[in-house]
Amino acid sequence: MTSTADQLFRPADAVINWARKNSLWPFFFGLSCCFVEEATAWGPRYDIARFGSEVFRGSPRQADVLIVSGTMFKKIAPVALQLYEQMSDPKWVISMGSCSNSGGMYDVYSVVQGSDQILPVDVYIPGCPPRPEAVFEGLMLLQKKIDAGERPTRPVLHLPGGSQGGREDYLVDGRTKARDTRGPGYAGIPIRGTAATEPRFAGSRAEVLWTPPAPGLTLSREQEVLAADLAAVYGDEARLAAGPDAPGDMPTFTVAPSRIADVLAHLKHKAPTRFERLEDLTAIDETARKTPVGHEATAVYTLTSLSRATMVRLLCPLQSRDATLPTATGVWSAANWYEREAAEMFGLRFDGHPDPRRLLTHRDWVSHPLRKDYEGRATNMPAFTREDCARLAPVDAAEILGERAKDGDYLLNFGPHHYATHGIIRFVMALRGERIKAMGIDIGYHHRGVEKIGERQTWHQFIPYTDRVDYLSGIANNLSYVTAVEKLAGIEVPPRAAYARVMLSELFRLSNHLMYFGTFLQDLGMMSPIFYALREREMVLDIIETVTGGRLHPSWLRLGGLAADLPEGWKEQVEAFVKIFPARLKEYHAGVTKNPIVKARTKGVGGITAAEATDRGVTGPNLRAAGVSWDRRKAMPYGAYADFDFDVPTRQNGDCYDRYLVRMDEMRESLRIIKQAAARMPEGRHLSADARYCLPQKDAALRDIESLIHHFVNVTRGPRLPSGMAYAATEAPRGEQGYFVVSDGGCHAYRMRIRTPGFANVQALPHIIEGLSIADCVAVLASYDYILPDIDR
Amino acid sequence: MPQPLAYVPLDAPFSPWNPGALPLVVYIGIVCGVMAIILFLSGFLTRRRPSPAKQQPYECGIIPTGPGRFRYPVPFFLVAVLFLLFDVETAYIIAYAAAWPELGLAGYLRMAVFIIVLGIGLAYAWSKGALDWDEEEGL
Repeated sequence: MTSTADQLFRPADAVINWARKNSLWPFFFGLSCCFVEEATAWGPRYDIARFGSEVFRGSPRQADVLIVSGTMFKKIAPVALQLYEQMSDPKWVISMGSCSNSGGMYDVYSVVQGSDQILPVDVYIPGCPPRPEAVFEGLMLLQKKIDAGERPTRPVLHLPGGSQGGREDYLVDGRTKARDTRGPGYAGIPIRGTAATEPRFAGSRAEVLWTPPAPGLTLSREQEVLAADLAAVYGDEARLAAGPDAPGDMPTFTVAPSRIADVLAHLKHKAPTRFERLEDLTAIDETARKTPVGHEATAVYTLTSLSRATMVRLLCPLQSRDATLPTATGVWSAANWYEREAAEMFGLRFDGHPDPRRLLTHRDWVSHPLRKDYEGRATNMPAFTREDCARLAPVDAAEILGERAKDGDYLLNFGPHHYATHGIIRFVMALRGERIKAMGIDIGYHHRGVEKIGERQTWHQFIPYTDRVDYLSGIANNLSYVTAVEKLAGIEVPPRAAYARVMLSELFRLSNHLMYFGTFLQDLGMMSPIFYALREREMVLDIIETVTGGRLHPSWLRLGGLAADLPEGWKEQVEAFVKIFPARLKEYHAGVTKNPIVKARTKGVGGITAAEATDRGVTGPNLRAAGVSWDRRKAMPYGAYADFDFDVPTRQNGDCYDRYLVRMDEMRESLRIIKQAAARMPEGRHLSADARYCLPQKDAALRDIESLIHHFVNVTRGPRLPSGMAYAATEAPRGEQGYFVVSDGGCHAYRMRIRTPGFANVQALPHIIEGLSIADCVAVLASYDYILPDIDR
Repeated sequence: MPQPLAYVPLDAPFSPWNPGALPLVVYIGIVCGVMAIILFLSGFLTRRRPSPAKQQPYECGIIPTGPGRFRYPVPFFLVAVLFLLFDVETAYIIAYAAAWPELGLAGYLRMAVFIIVLGIGLAYAWSKGALDWDEEEGL
């Protein structure tokens, strides 16, 4: 009888299960924020080794547990499947984070609604992101499942029956998996009402609400000179937008599409105010405007003058969404990727572009996602299946390099899944020996369609998404977004909120740079610094947790202020940290900065000149390491930064060592700012009293009915903002992060554009890396500090 | 109280003090047996389920381009091998120098032939460009 035989095998089952569950070898498939917490679980405070899983494996061959952490994208899903299939038997799968479990908050065209649609998941870890402790809960649950559910002796002895290695099937859309956004159990019950999605929420009373017009702009003397100069050279083909609808953040010119390249070149080389940098290039699909504007699309160019600390915007009205514009790549090399992105997202075409391929989406993607008639929600689209994985498999390396790969070159894929890429990005290298002759980059494996989501969430609802754009910088992201919206609507921020924002942003800069310090040196082969850095980072996160209640993504800023007042005890904690951290910094310098091996590996490696960096749109510490003393906090102060005393650290060579040193110095300066902010924290409101756009302070909402009504309206339907546009950039830890918000007088953004530092920074990488060896390439990537959701958005 | 056992030497054929063929044969037999058991168990207990994806080399999760076997210039390797080749002669020369009075002219001539032959080899390697650090093409 089988049952007797099974009884016989019980002890052997128990022994095998005991051995397996206590020595799980996790293989990370780290996609986003969750992975940071997963990696933290490996750090000194949490120490994952206690759970029988020593080190994260980077290769599927060496592992038996695949931990998928974070958002699964349609472009990366085939890679995840390939890795799963390359694992040896037996194997289990853990899905970590709400994004990985179900798409989470990213219900958008590029996201797979749950990794269980293509992989058989054994354990789900909920949360966004789950705390490091949750990783242990997940592991322990898997251990229990192995112990209780698996009968491995029979398969081990090649007998029929038995079981091992978790589930083997995966969920099938519509049969075993529900895509109803209301959760399971609603199948068959029709969705009531209308979805509150852009552009209009039918029947909304916001339509009849009056709002004061957006604040206008008074031109300075310099800006008037510039306008006169453009008028003299281009006449009516470059008109200054004027009147009540003119954007209030910077002078805006309407330029004839055929002349745009000339105007850009003029502004860069000849105009009375020189604009050295192409800050951003994007487009707006105008077809769904409440009040039609008379053309189908607008191309938007934003320029920054580093020498005069001023900005300008050029608008190109296009009669058709398929219209052709002359390329700006001849003026700025940075325009390359920006134009490719605008082309794939909106369908525009750029005449003379050197490489007009899709950038973020897969080669075989159909249509242009940021057009207004493109489906925004993945739950409304056909399910992504295993068959789609075959269809959207990553393209061949030779295709990414194109003609630049020569005969005899060895093509190496560096990523998308690799330890040293710091996220899901793919570098393709044509090698001769160890020398990199040519390098191509394929991005978009982490594209979460944030801009599309921004056009569907209300002005307040979008704040949590901004946290996740650069998942290591939390509140620094919020700040860029709320600053832009506040500029658009003219919202005043009370001083207490402004100071608290500065303090929290700087704490996140510290947290980010600490992570940088650790990972940079880990990539160079030093193991200890990451443990020290994680130790200090936890102290920073503890402060952030005391103040905001969250770790990575507090979503704690609001339009006009903060979500809540600073809690009791925040100051003591900040002061304690400020006291001990300088000594820790000194320790870092003693152990690392003078280390001859670190110097040998980074000094003179991967340098970039100031001119080249500016031309390519490199920002932040990477730009300052090249000798450009440009920091938004100093040059064009926003928020309360003008009140603070700090220096802008710079270096001269722009090589790996300098990039590292600039960040080390920035930690010291951030600490100075935090110290000042804590000492001088003003009293008063933490939210603006402007009830039209801002939430009332919570205690007021609980006490009087007026505030309660405003709270209700602004939380549910959202405030109605005046029509207009505004761009605001802040100095985020990795560089300049700008939000360009366009409102057509609704409760949602009409167009939400995010200018991220990573996009431009990474675009410059081939210029830096080509000609180096592979080992040096790793040093450059590690010293460069980019993050994937910020590049792909 | 038990008497301590008297020392009884192993039978001659198995004594380590009397080297012979038999201990070696037995030793080889034991090694082969253990190896066979290990190989059999690791082969038998492993479940193999080959699939096309699993047979592929791992390359960061995607399908590799081109073959993995090709001419690959490794300049460091070449320099290291040449160093070894021309470094070993030092051992001979020092030994020879230490024994110089005993060896006399005959030893001197033999050593000269040895060094000349090596010198020709070095000149040949040099002229072929083996000492040039050429990452492009190797040698």
